[in-house]
Amino acid sequence: MKKLLVVLLIAVLALTTVFAGGGSEKSSSSAKGSVYWLNFKPESDETLQKLAALYTEKTGVPVKVVTAASGTYNETLTAEMDKSSAPTLFVVGNKAAADTWGDYCYDLTGTSVANELNTDAYNIYTADGKLASIGYCYECFGIIVNEELLEKAGYKISDIKDFASLKAIAEDIHKRQYDLEFDAFTSSGMDGSSSWRFSGHLANAALYYESRDAGFWGATPAEIKGTYLKNFKNLWDLYINNSGYDPVSLATGGFDAEAEFGRKEAVFYQNGNWEYDALVNKYGLDPAKLKMIPFYCGVAGEEKAGLNCGTENCWAVNAKASDADIQATLDFMYWMVTDPEATALLASTFGSIPYKKAAVPENVFLAQANEYANKGCYTMTWEFNYTPNVDNWRAGVVSAMNQYDAARTDANWALVENAFVQGWATQYKLANI
Amino acid sequence: MAQNLNSKENKAKLILTIFFALLALIWVYPVLLVLINSFKVNTYVKTNTFSFPVGEMFAGFQNFLKGMTFGNYPFIKSALYSFLITIGSTVLILLCTAMTGWYIARVDDKFCRLIYLICVFSMVVPFQMVMFTLSKTADVLKLNTPWTIPVIYLGFGAGLAIFMFVGFVKGVPKEIEEAAAIDGCGPVRTFFSIVLPILKPTLISVGILEIMWIWNDYLLPYLVLDRTKFMTIPIHIQYLKGSYGTVDLGATMALILMSIIPVIIFYLSCQKYIIKGVAAGAVKG
Amino acid sequence: MSKHSSGAKRLKNESIMKKPMKRWSPLFIGPTLVAFVIGFIWPFIRGFGLSFTKFRTTSDAKFLGFGHLFDNYVNAFKDPSFLHAFWYTALFTIVSVILINVLAFAVAYALTQKIKGSNLFRTVFFMPNLIGGIVLGYIWSMIFDGVLSHMNTSILLETKYGFWGLIVLLCWQQIGYMMIIYIAGLQAVPEDMLEAARIDGATKWQTLTKVTIPNVMPSITICTFLTLSNGFKLFDQNLALTGGQPFNFKADGSVVKTTEMLALNIYNTFYGQNTSARGTAQAKAVLFFILVAALGLIQLSYTRKREVEQ
Repeated sequence: MKKLLVVLLIAVLALTTVFAGGGSEKSSSSAKGSVYWLNFKPESDETLQKLAALYTEKTGVPVKVVTAASGTYNETLTAEMDKSSAPTLFVVGNKAAADTWGDYCYDLTGTSVANELNTDAYNIYTADGKLASIGYCYECFGIIVNEELLEKAGYKISDIKDFASLKAIAEDIHKRQYDLEFDAFTSSGMDGSSSWRFSGHLANAALYYESRDAGFWGATPAEIKGTYLKNFKNLWDLYINNSGYDPVSLATGGFDAEAEFGRKEAVFYQNGNWEYDALVNKYGLDPAKLKMIPFYCGVAGEEKAGLNCGTENCWAVNAKASDADIQATLDFMYWMVTDPEATALLASTFGSIPYKKAAVPENVFLAQANEYANKGCYTMTWEFNYTPNVDNWRAGVVSAMNQYDAARTDANWALVENAFVQGWATQYKLANI
Repeated sequence: MAQNLNSKENKAKLILTIFFALLALIWVYPVLLVLINSFKVNTYVKTNTFSFPVGEMFAGFQNFLKGMTFGNYPFIKSALYSFLITIGSTVLILLCTAMTGWYIARVDDKFCRLIYLICVFSMVVPFQMVMFTLSKTADVLKLNTPWTIPVIYLGFGAGLAIFMFVGFVKGVPKEIEEAAAIDGCGPVRTFFSIVLPILKPTLISVGILEIMWIWNDYLLPYLVLDRTKFMTIPIHIQYLKGSYGTVDLGATMALILMSIIPVIIFYLSCQKYIIKGVAAGAVKG
Repeated sequence: MSKHSSGAKRLKNESIMKKPMKRWSPLFIGPTLVAFVIGFIWPFIRGFGLSFTKFRTTSDAKFLGFGHLFDNYVNAFKDPSFLHAFWYTALFTIVSVILINVLAFAVAYALTQKIKGSNLFRTVFFMPNLIGGIVLGYIWSMIFDGVLSHMNTSILLETKYGFWGLIVLLCWQQIGYMMIIYIAGLQAVPEDMLEAARIDGATKWQTLTKVTIPNVMPSITICTFLTLSNGFKLFDQNLALTGGQPFNFKADGSVVKTTEMLALNIYNTFYGQNTSARGTAQAKAVLFFILVAALGLIQLSYTRKREVEQ
């Protein structure tokens, strides 16, 4: 026993010495200030880590990027804000978040980085007029089409004009899946890694039109009517009934829709412009054959619909950080939107960056979004940014959609409607006690 | 007739043995499944959970390679921190609470009884009660690193350990210690050369209970550790579930397997002590 | 030995021990006490205090005022998800206590009947205890979904699967632990009492109910309370296996996570997005503490009484 204790003690001491080396580095440059960026998008973590390393290499200012596991950003932010080394740079992506975290937001008005903005469309202000956060990119999403496969099936992109034509084509491809050796839609997994595509992005089909009917919300409404939920259902039914995966199996996830699309197993894949890099560089798809089409969901006049464009990527600076850290963070932000190398890196993952000196991305999807707009189509703005207690609301919708997928009955669809409409009202009430 | 009864009893025992052999197989089956699926290509883990990874399902060591760097955080780092925290905390708890337990049992004044009472009290307090404030306190005092978190474990886990040590020391006659004191032996020497060896069985019991607790603990390190730098194995595995694009079940199973292996080695090599420790801990606790 | 050190001499010896020990008290109890204050006493007091405040982070807590002193507690009781979690946890705990104890006792009883390989079986049955709750959750979610996906469903889709799934998981984990305690108890049953019963011609069943069980009552008490408090405090397994899914929507739009237990409910209230509910979460935690502490104290007084009787 004594021997065992001695061995254990030695082990502890050895380990401590090994790790102490790692622990002592941090105190080196506290005078310069440091940056701690709490990121909320797991898919962009890799780029941001590169960016942080690049900046530290150039200036010596330590930049730490931490990414919250998906669906846990708020949980992480809450826990981290209470700590002594709280995030200096964090994401306040919508009005509701600005209300919650307003007093933690440094007023960005007149800062060098804010002066570089080429539009104020993505600025978020608090109730008392403080510039709480500024967008660092804007994005678009819709249904990505592999034109090569579509043509193999005997159709052209121009054949898809509205929901009816989309539905006819998708159902036809699904019927011939064995001959064609590909299916219409990729899997619609509902685990945390993929459900946001539907509870967040697809939901915008219903939320956008309702907001438009109301003359655009401008602030989070206390309740919604769910007028366009049948259109949401149109697309959802289309997705799950015309793919190679049993709807019942979607709930537990474990699918990789991106890989399915990359391996040319399906024609349609609902996602956003941030997929461009992976599809082209990782899976080697031909960018000329990648098209993004709007959410055609059976709303009158939707032939004139464009892509869903907007952002929830908005930077806020922690007002309660030390002055040195705030300055370091502002400098870092300024560098990100003006340095050619940095903007190029940002543009490659995030798409368009709304700053004067920023690099223009080669992303074909963003170009297509502009084409739609130039043709006079209406851009579907991101009305889902108004969602109250967004993680909770989405969790409710996902759970209800799972019930529906398991048995596609009207009664189960009523659960989804309830989660949408009643869930919204409840979360609004909870958030505004 | 007696012989007849015996053979009947033997038969019953044989049936029982066979029954338990089957039950034991069922018992290890989940672990075997982890082993099987850690060599399976991700997409088949869900659809063909129970079949062997043969043909196109076989992934080789792909899952292990992928798992090591999953989520931009090397698994080996989590494993090392887990080791460090478990061993460091256990050693600290054993050393400090053995001293405290002996002191409380022997001095036994009002102050000691108060501490003892709070210890017993702390054993019934669920972690949720203190989690929010504890993570704040740990952060302010910089107890949020793997080499300082043992203090937190000592604080939150001292109750049971002190309880067990006091219970044991009270059952030990103090004549030897008194004799040592008469011979001019100071308390520190008495403790280390006389008391500690006597406490050996309890040290082992407490040590094993603490190791089992700390190695598997999820919420405390998750809330206390500086999550920008450190993960432990349970945190790492939970993190994989909710992030980084698609959940790769194959790689997750590979990581789970790697996290179970040290536990099983530990168990098989100290089995006797573990089972004794558990029995002792339960009877006291 | 004890005779010769009684009376005055004993008193003298005690002072010989105690005085120098007290001089060394900073070494003996100092470190533990400091850690205890940091790791338990202060967070506990502060947590209790916070349950009467409105706060988002601990640094911006605002006292609710005496008129609204119990607002957080009132909100906790008004929260349907909390009440649901309470009843769900209670039901879960009762079922798991009964199942685990009956099965663990049966296994322990059979294994003490001198059958071949009982040591090996004991080793195997105890093994799952060393695997952590998070890992257990993922292992079993793989297994359950491996089975349920063939029935076109999933553990995340139906409350009953989530409930029984967690029961199976907990049985697998804890039967071995309780079995060890029961074996220790069974081995302590005096051999001569069993012998006497056999001579008196008692059947096996009579021996079991009249001799064995009364003698292992202490083990039964311990195991019952252990499984009881394990059930109420369950967190990791709950989080990893279902995380509360599926959700149930009340007519008023509130969401009840049907397989969410108390500890997880409190955690979700704390770290959920709704930052105005954090005071409520702390109030829930206090209520939870009172519940678990009551169970624990009942057990302690039980054990105490038993010790006195002996």
